[in-house]
Amino acid sequence: MPEDKAFKNEVLRLAGSEALTCIQCGTCSASCPTANLMNPSIRRLIKLCLEGRKDEALHNETLWLCTSCLLCTVRCPRGIRPKAVVSALKEIAGREEKKSKDASYEELFVKQIEQNGRIAELPLTAEFLFVFPQGMVSSMQMGLELLPKGKIGIEIDRIRGRDEVKRIIEELRG
Amino acid sequence: MKLAYYPGCVSQSTGKEMDASTRAVCTALGIEIEELADWNCCGATHVSNELVATGLAARNMAQTDLPIMTACSICYSNLRAAEERLKEPEVLTKVNAVLDKKYRGAEVRHALDVMLEAMPEGDERIVLPLKGLLVAPYYGCLLTRPAGLYSAEFPVILETLIKRLEAEPVDFRKKTACCGGPIFMPQENAADDIAFGILSEAKRAGAEVIVTVCPLCHLMLDAKQKILEQKKGEKIGIPVLYVTQLVGIALGLGPEELGLFMNTVSPMGIVEKAYERMGNES
Repeated sequence: MPEDKAFKNEVLRLAGSEALTCIQCGTCSASCPTANLMNPSIRRLIKLCLEGRKDEALHNETLWLCTSCLLCTVRCPRGIRPKAVVSALKEIAGREEKKSKDASYEELFVKQIEQNGRIAELPLTAEFLFVFPQGMVSSMQMGLELLPKGKIGIEIDRIRGRDEVKRIIEELRG
Repeated sequence: MKLAYYPGCVSQSTGKEMDASTRAVCTALGIEIEELADWNCCGATHVSNELVATGLAARNMAQTDLPIMTACSICYSNLRAAEERLKEPEVLTKVNAVLDKKYRGAEVRHALDVMLEAMPEGDERIVLPLKGLLVAPYYGCLLTRPAGLYSAEFPVILETLIKRLEAEPVDFRKKTACCGGPIFMPQENAADDIAFGILSEAKRAGAEVIVTVCPLCHLMLDAKQKILEQKKGEKIGIPVLYVTQLVGIALGLGPEELGLFMNTVSPMGIVEKAYERMGNES
């Protein structure tokens, strides 16, 4: 497969050019709480980006197993931000419109901020279950736990600055 | 001391007891708070575009000239990360171009550090010292990252606070490990394994209570605890308190004000034990 230079440069633009200094030491993988489930590993994901292997870098479960805990970023001896690379790949995947359940969750989350300025968990969960009905049973379990305690936010709280928030999301993207 | 209070979206739902206890403790300690005007969601861990995340945080920070306090580590981490990025002139210019009120710098604080500062050693307002209570100090990941204010791997501020209340921090190996929360909807099994690992480690360390600084950690460890016990076939039974709830108990505040009845694993046993111990001593 030919090296996709445009893809590689876009990752570097979004996540920082220091990624070029990666020595593949694997400190990121060794620090990652979900490393045991990742294929490719976070170390290998960086390599795929640097080799411009766009398809392999974008279409995998690894991106969605990242918990954003930033331990990779704290520990990288080269000052690379592996989590920022993951975020960059999610951003690029989002533009390509190949929808996975994980991408949908993130998209719904951002859409709700765009519309209301804040997140209300119940409508967000309901919308997510519409695209991912397999999550229904465990969501019901959680609901049964939280509802009697009055801990489910049902009302959607709309802020006054919605237009400004919408502008932030639309204009700063890209 | 007057601060702008940023409650965050969970304050209206799964983190209601975090919000209630934060407000109650601030009142008790004489910390004057004013809710941040028309605040928006910080984006949590679900806004992958860094510039957008920075813009969302900057809008919040531009609403006030006061230092901003939040009790949520996710909100805290996002505001702090944005504060750092906004030091770059290029980022600042781009962000301010879309904001109504312009960002002109900010000071962001977590309730943990605000409370510690307001409560000196031997503070007489600590009417119910939690002597002998074994507490697992659980930082989770985002309070200490981006680093700068606290060590990312060996923070001690929670232990300091626990000792100030005369309780005893246990040596908790997973104190800065991630709870798995950000992926609990789409990647449930992975998140459950991580959260159960934290709970098991707290049990092994002999903790009577786990203290958290983040509503997502709290959700994973408390609201999900019974579900996880069933799934894994192992009993844990350790209450999980927000740090503001733990401080509130030591300040003698009531369970209603602190939202203690909203916790899934009841912390009332700990409260009763503390009162009993005090009764025996006097």
